[in-house]
Amino acid sequence: MSDPLLRVDDLQVQFFTEDGVVRAVDGISFDVHEGELVGLVGESGAGKSVAVSAIMRLIESPGKIVGGRIEFDGETLVEVETGPDGDPYRTEATMPDGELRERIRGREIAIIFQDPMESLNPVFTVGGQLREFIELNRDFSEREAREEAVSMLREVGIPEPEARYGDYPHQFSGGMRQRVLIAMALACEPSLIIADEPTTALDVTVEAQILDLVEDLQDRYGTSFVWVTHDMGVVAEICDRVNVMYLGEIVEQAPVDDLFYETKHPYTAALLDSVPRPDQTVEELNPIKGVMPEAIDPPSGCRFHTRCPEAREACTTTNPDCREVGFGDPPHRAACIKHDAFDAAYSGSPPLDAAAQQGFDVSLSGGETDD
Amino acid sequence: MSLIRYSTRRVLQAVPVLLGVVAITFALINAAPGNPVDIMLGPSPNQAAVETLKAKYGLDQPIHIRFWKYLVNLVQLDMGRSIYYDAPVTAKIAQRLPATLLLMGSSFAFAIAAAVPLGVVSAQRRNKPTDHLTRVVSLVGVSTPSFWIGLVLILVFSFHLGVLPATNLVMPWAPPSAVAGASTRLGVLVVAGEHLLLPMLSLGTLQMAAITRIERSSMLEVLSDDYVRLARAYGVKERTILRKHAFRNAQLPVITIIGLQLTTAIGGAVLTETVFEINGMGRLIVSSISRQDFPLVMGTTLVFAFVFVVGVILTDISYAYVDPRVSYGDQE
Repeated sequence: MSDPLLRVDDLQVQFFTEDGVVRAVDGISFDVHEGELVGLVGESGAGKSVAVSAIMRLIESPGKIVGGRIEFDGETLVEVETGPDGDPYRTEATMPDGELRERIRGREIAIIFQDPMESLNPVFTVGGQLREFIELNRDFSEREAREEAVSMLREVGIPEPEARYGDYPHQFSGGMRQRVLIAMALACEPSLIIADEPTTALDVTVEAQILDLVEDLQDRYGTSFVWVTHDMGVVAEICDRVNVMYLGEIVEQAPVDDLFYETKHPYTAALLDSVPRPDQTVEELNPIKGVMPEAIDPPSGCRFHTRCPEAREACTTTNPDCREVGFGDPPHRAACIKHDAFDAAYSGSPPLDAAAQQGFDVSLSGGETDD
Repeated sequence: MSLIRYSTRRVLQAVPVLLGVVAITFALINAAPGNPVDIMLGPSPNQAAVETLKAKYGLDQPIHIRFWKYLVNLVQLDMGRSIYYDAPVTAKIAQRLPATLLLMGSSFAFAIAAAVPLGVVSAQRRNKPTDHLTRVVSLVGVSTPSFWIGLVLILVFSFHLGVLPATNLVMPWAPPSAVAGASTRLGVLVVAGEHLLLPMLSLGTLQMAAITRIERSSMLEVLSDDYVRLARAYGVKERTILRKHAFRNAQLPVITIIGLQLTTAIGGAVLTETVFEINGMGRLIVSSISRQDFPLVMGTTLVFAFVFVVGVILTDISYAYVDPRVSYGDQE
């Protein structure tokens, strides 16, 4: 396989809050090839949005990239190493701020945010905002940019684009605004679009329309996507490959079919179990027990062991990395020591099931007394 | 044009508001104990003299008749005659209003000109020394009464340093012959500026501080909004983001505060005029209330109400100008 368009390697992002350091993203690695649509799935708070914001270095204070490297099309967007004094620093290879802003942001990588109601500036016209970004990122004159904006609005299915060009965001519905933001991303002709839960705020029928639109546009433009979502249904519909995140780590990484039919990580299995299906009644729904622990104080060992039905004692001490556990290309990776690829004493270790329940309660009450 | 329709509607809505002000002021004055005749004639007056004076000023008529007559005259811009000064109320106001408008206008101009850049810079350099300094200055500014600032300024600049005058105002449009120490147009402007500086600072500091605080917090809020993050993600320069993508949105709460500051400024003008011995509307209204000069109280109150209503209308129209959502309902 050719070199990936985007390669994220051991990325670590931490937030330095008054309560302590939050390890929002804790050493994740994934890549995106040209024309691929890669999913990033997980519960709220897993660190998905932080991970994708880091790609364009959009992390705001008190957050900071404290380790890892992000390469895009052969260039190093960021590389952070730890110095001899223990403080992380950006290496020489890291692209300077001005260059990143001028050559990468918008031009090479565009982003679509979760909430279309908040992503457009309420005091400027929709067309004007679109035009500004096109002008900036494609070196068009104002007139050319305007024409391009109108044609992109038509492309994403806005009726009467010339008339709507001068309208303000509040005159658009949520679905229409998200179409505008997709038009904005595509109009700058980037090689990669980061979509951060773009359909979460929309209702189901609009979501389906937007997904169809994106698939159709992706076929025609060949743009690569990183698609952040918490919805396994969306993953199944549009992704080529999927990364499952839990508490700042990637726990499973696989082509979409393998993920659904040969699930290798108990967390992914639990996520799939908790999706309502028409062939099951609501009583049979099997949500994941407990809530995701706080990233400020993650459990020892495997981070999922407090909620994992298959957890054993060995899981409380070993935090597995994401290793290849299946055969095939692209590879199927998982971070669970029950697989043979991990030389851990899983099979000989006593199950945690009953103890896990207890341990979970203890950690909960312990958390309360701490406060 | 939705903005024009909106503005027209706002102006028309002000008419019933002003009518309400007239009615309430009229009722309040008449509800207060005592009347001007009692004050003019002193204790145990001659009954016949009371009747004559009451008839002279129309006070013998029932209140609804007097109110109706007042309204009819008011529409013709006649506010009656001041009992104490024995002169038309409108003439008295025309004589006093310019000083107050000059004082309030200049203090607002000073407040806005200083507060907006301070607030923006403070937000941009959040938690850095510039920000801390601005925050301390604005906190002190909002917590210090304007008359105290005025007294300190007089003490320092007039009494000890002797560089600026402590009393009175000179109108910048006065003829050079009427101004002491000035022989040319420019000289008048300099003298007027010297007189204006201290009152302007003492009245404007509170507004400046209040606006700075709002400007800062409003900018901070907008700078973390999604559309600003989006602009950043599309490669827009920080300076353009500040100037274009964030600034306009951040002005909405600032405009509200400026409009509300108008009330405090009117109150502050009364105190400032007293401290600096400026013959303006503030002192006129206070003295006319203590003399129970009914027509003059009515006139001065109405003028202040009018200034305030105009300020509110301007606030609303600038609001609609900045944010297209405000006048959205007025579209055809």
